[in-house]
Amino acid sequence: MKFDTSGLESHGQLVGASDGLFSGFPTAPSFEIPNTTDFDCFQKEAIQMVKPAKGTTTLAFIFKEGVMVAADSRASMGGYISSQSVKKIIEINPYMLGTMAGGAADCQFWHRNLGIKCRLHELANKRRISVTGASKLLANILYNYRGMGLSVGTMIAGWDETGPGLYYVDSEGGRLKGMRFSVGSGSPYAYGVLDNGYRYDMSVDEAAELARRAIYHATFRDGASGGVASVYYVGPDGWKKLSGDDVAELHYNYYPVQPSVVEQVMVET
Amino acid sequence: IFEYNGSALVAMVGKNCFAIASDRRLGVQLQTIATDFQRIYKIHEKIFIGLSGLATDAQTLYQRLVFRHKLYQLREERNMKPETFASLVSAILYEKRFGPYFCQPVIAGLGDDNKPFICTMDSIGAKELAKDFVVAGTASESLYGACEAMFKPDMEAEELFETISQALLSSVDRDCLSGWGGHVYVVTPTEVTERILKGRMD
Repeated sequence: MKFDTSGLESHGQLVGASDGLFSGFPTAPSFEIPNTTDFDCFQKEAIQMVKPAKGTTTLAFIFKEGVMVAADSRASMGGYISSQSVKKIIEINPYMLGTMAGGAADCQFWHRNLGIKCRLHELANKRRISVTGASKLLANILYNYRGMGLSVGTMIAGWDETGPGLYYVDSEGGRLKGMRFSVGSGSPYAYGVLDNGYRYDMSVDEAAELARRAIYHATFRDGASGGVASVYYVGPDGWKKLSGDDVAELHYNYYPVQPSVVEQVMVET
Repeated sequence: IFEYNGSALVAMVGKNCFAIASDRRLGVQLQTIATDFQRIYKIHEKIFIGLSGLATDAQTLYQRLVFRHKLYQLREERNMKPETFASLVSAILYEKRFGPYFCQPVIAGLGDDNKPFICTMDSIGAKELAKDFVVAGTASESLYGACEAMFKPDMEAEELFETISQALLSSVDRDCLSGWGGHVYVVTPTEVTERILKGRMD
């Protein structure tokens, strides 16, 4: 295995890879293999360590005005909440966003790597990369590491010349194009609200409210999601963060407490 | 198994009073099923028991304890003392030593001359008496920390309520499996106050 760290250097090998069959394609950055006696079990333990972190809710959908992306902000390790303020929407570049679900380190690193490759593409070809191209780059890289314990369930959302684009990419090597996606342990709850309220021709505000509600409902029902519901909008001139509301406040906004009659019972002693 | 339903329980001693508080979530692993589940039960005017752990065992155990207490009332024509009640719970749990109830009870009561009494047990009946506070449930480690930091001896009922509420809410905010509100009972010799806390619903 070649110890190529082009992902970490500022220039990659875009032209002229070593294999004649795949010339012109960037080779996947590869990492050093650890020196263990039992390589397979080492990988299994590494997978187990990363596994609990798929507790999250992220969603994204395409509508008439662009792409809406939303996520919660809780990181959990088994039952323990390790943080309520994790940034799960990663800004790849000013017009593309990626969401984080699964291993936090994996998502952050590979999204940053993808950002680097996109920028290199821009410089080499004098035009921005399409969302299709960017998601394909990421999917191919993840496919090379298939079975090695990466845990990534991400959505790449952006606006390119063909309009809004949304792709779901995961660490098993899958890549799906679609109009609505939700990823994470809270995704069934988010899908329920999202599918019910979705219409293609919504305004930006309506879409933002739908995304916020869907995340809120997921955080209410799912133990591993919570914290802050952040909503981003991707339009023709790039992404914009619309809101980051604490989910606890949203609850009391949507369902204000009705003061009930309190009975006092005096106890005879 | 203790983390199947999720729970958080805490009891604290004050000056001639005690407070017992629980969260209100009932879940099936990560999914929340109900947000108004009752974990604290009244045995009689001066003894409350909270049951954490597996919800089905908590309900069954409560029913058995109420039965035993009613029998005691009929035979002895008086209410049980908290120390006696704790021994009863411990014996019932140990009967099932090799097929236990997956519950950790927290017992709080006012004894003769209104001296507050609290204790907790593990699932096979090992009593742990404490003079200040006891905790149980999935959030127990966070609760230990919060109580240790916030507890002062000889608090009055109002201050005790504030302290126990803050300890409960801040601990369950660090636990995925408990929370979604709080239920606090503050018991003094003359009255029992039941309050429901607004918490983070995530």
